Amino acid sequence: MSTAGLALGNGRPVTTALWQVLALPLLALLVWQVWALTLESDTRAPYPIKVLTTFLALTASGDLPSALLQSLGRVIAGFCFALLLGCGLGILMGANRKLRDSLDPIIEGFRPIAPMAILPIAILWFGTGTPAALSIVTYAAFFPLLVNTVHGISHVDPKLVRAATTMGLPRWRIMLRVLLPASLPSVVLGARLAMGVAWTAIIAAELAVGAKSGGGTSGGIGQMMFVFYAYSVDLNAIVVCMIVVGVVAMLIDRIFRAVERRLMPWRP
Amino acid sequence: MADARANLFSGRLPSEGGALSATKSPADGGVVAPARHRGAPAWLRRTGVVLRSYALFIAAWWLLAAWNGNPIQLPDPASVFNALVDLARDGELLEHTVVSSTRVVIALSIAVSLALPLGFAMGLSRRLESFVDPLVELLRPISGIAWIPLALFIFGVGNMLPIFIMVYVAFFPLLLNTVSGVRSVDRRLIDASRTMGVSRRAVLERVVIPASLPTVMVGFRLAFASAWAAVVAAELIGAPSGLGFAIEWYRQLLMSPKVFGFIALIGLVGFLFDSMLRALQRKLTPWHTGASA
Repeated sequence: MSTAGLALGNGRPVTTALWQVLALPLLALLVWQVWALTLESDTRAPYPIKVLTTFLALTASGDLPSALLQSLGRVIAGFCFALLLGCGLGILMGANRKLRDSLDPIIEGFRPIAPMAILPIAILWFGTGTPAALSIVTYAAFFPLLVNTVHGISHVDPKLVRAATTMGLPRWRIMLRVLLPASLPSVVLGARLAMGVAWTAIIAAELAVGAKSGGGTSGGIGQMMFVFYAYSVDLNAIVVCMIVVGVVAMLIDRIFRAVERRLMPWRP
Repeated sequence: MADARANLFSGRLPSEGGALSATKSPADGGVVAPARHRGAPAWLRRTGVVLRSYALFIAAWWLLAAWNGNPIQLPDPASVFNALVDLARDGELLEHTVVSSTRVVIALSIAVSLALPLGFAMGLSRRLESFVDPLVELLRPISGIAWIPLALFIFGVGNMLPIFIMVYVAFFPLLLNTVSGVRSVDRRLIDASRTMGVSRRAVLERVVIPASLPTVMVGFRLAFASAWAAVVAAELIGAPSGLGFAIEWYRQLLMSPKVFGFIALIGLVGFLFDSMLRALQRKLTPWHTGASA
């Protein structure tokens, strides 16, 4: 099981033996399966073996991969919008104290508003299709990107900037050669957080758009979960979707961590 | 694991330093006269900046609404304000706020009573951690939102669904921060007190708990932030009351001013809760002035 490696990969001492890692998850699975055996044979309750066969069936029919691709496409598109907006505004705010002081209260005012609270507005503006889901993802991903970019740019060692100025570098080159590289760790961190919340937000958006519009219009893995809930009442398929959502979230996290190590090998 | 905490939290870091901290108050410099003419004290100037920003924001909103000309898509600020006043007069405003807040408080209490004991146990015993941690790391990537359909089956529409989802999302930041808080306690403090013959129980009460409290409080604020985001989603899909329900309800009735009013309220209540937690943080861990690390 590759999860063993994943669970250990957090820079923790690798003294944990494999069986220790596997013990509790396997035990949980076993209890779950045994519990399911005590129910009647036509039970709707999900259990591990049925989940596995459902997963295989859904993958073979192509439903799961296509829904997954649709959701991933939306997340990546929304993330790119948020990257442009968040980093763009973040650089301006990081470099300009006045702008930062003025915009900060507004940003702070919007932050406690959950992405899902924007959903009704998104539906009013864009209907129930992809643009609504996209706008929610963008909104969700915007804040971590913005805040971390501002943090990165405004915490660059001022001595570096002064040194560069003394050596006669023009402003845009200071931006490109000093500020951006120095703030990179913070920006990449923001990107990782943003991608995490974006993935959560897309599931929520698709689920809710499905739940509130009768389904069938938005697609994606969240929508798929809703269809399994409301129409075909297939709990095993819902659990499959949950696991897939979790695995994707984990992979996204791993990928960004790998990028972080690549871009910034000087950091531990 | 400390990493997870720092990362999640870094969303909050920069803005807390007090935006005007660089413009040092002239009063503490001794050279009062030349600096005084810059006028008002820092907090007043700060309020001025906030007011100016929001005035501009509302003006922009108004212009956009006028340009758009469709009050269902984008109501103007005045009608939203009126809707809020109406809702407050009906008592509906308070009702939904109280319902959502109560759910949050209940869910956080449950999450705390589950995560803190487990977190302390895991922090103190590497052995326990090596068993439990894999399970936690398997469950953690599955967002609370993804549990909603399954939870709808188990609990149905009602109070239990949002509470379950919130307990789930609040559990992980609390647990991880408690573990890393306990881990970060200086070994020497424990060794010293053990050497002086302090009982294990007293070491836990007098050394480990106070020393890990700052990290636990950070986890608590994170847990609230996740819970507050989750309650909106959970109520929107699976509850007959609460703020999340209200925004979607009025959206279906196409009463946009009320939708916008409730959204603003979600922001406001979330902000107030977080301010309270921050005050609590300062009160409980006054030595931890950074309040953010």
